Amino acid sequence: MKDLVRQKLSIHVDVMDLLNKQIEKEAHSSSAYLAMASWCDHNALSNSADFFYEQSAEEREHMMKIFKYINDNGGTAFSPEVGNVNHDFKSLEEIFETALDQEIAITKSIHNLVGKCRKLNDYTTEYFLQWFIQEQMEEEQTMRRALELFDLMGTDGLGLKLLDERIPQIRDKRPE
Amino acid sequence: MKVLHQSQFFISYQCDKQRSFFIKFPHKTIKLGFCQLLAFRQQVKEIDLEAHFNGENSHGMEMLMLCNRQHFFVFNTVESIDLKEFITGTFAMLELNSLLTASV
Repeated sequence: MKDLVRQKLSIHVDVMDLLNKQIEKEAHSSSAYLAMASWCDHNALSNSADFFYEQSAEEREHMMKIFKYINDNGGTAFSPEVGNVNHDFKSLEEIFETALDQEIAITKSIHNLVGKCRKLNDYTTEYFLQWFIQEQMEEEQTMRRALELFDLMGTDGLGLKLLDERIPQIRDKRPE
Repeated sequence: MKVLHQSQFFISYQCDKQRSFFIKFPHKTIKLGFCQLLAFRQQVKEIDLEAHFNGENSHGMEMLMLCNRQHFFVFNTVESIDLKEFITGTFAMLELNSLLTASV
């Protein structure tokens, strides 16, 4: 009997399922950043708002990268449903903490995917995911730098305004 | 055409010549491409069996549309349970076949 699955699909079916789950996570992440951007906009933190708008667009790009990868390799990518997006935050610091937690969760999920690829000998997807590993490392670094600003500058008086002005620079430090 | 898996109500086949899959339902047999089979699998995976027993799905029916809405199926609770087992079994057989083919 011919291996029709292999003829049609370059990736393992179980890996495809996990990639579809990853699409859901990236989509949720993109929406969560959008909610954070909205909060910042409402609280006159325009630089932080811009940062999170950009962050939201990036997460969507990640999602689309995986989406295209699944379809290009013969699988079926499913458009995700997004629910349970939190719009309530106490402070900007809480937002960045939440953002870091979110990035850590995404990193764990990517690592889990790589582990599965190794187990199933899906070297194609493992290679594809290398870009995401690097990207997640940079995302976590960015969020950590933002939290370091809170330790350094505090949020009393003008501190929060000055901190907001420094937010665009945390991205500039990213390695090329 | 070779049988991949058989459950209480359903049978899946692979046809090498047409590079397609066939599923025999109690009242008809349909042809599916691999992508359509994947889409079918996804729909079956999304069936919430718990809802059949906790009152959320009070009518106990599942409605699935397959192959770009060419086919419409209604399954009762017993068939839905069997369908889940059937899809798992079919894909397990396909994986087994991949492993055997790769090892030859």
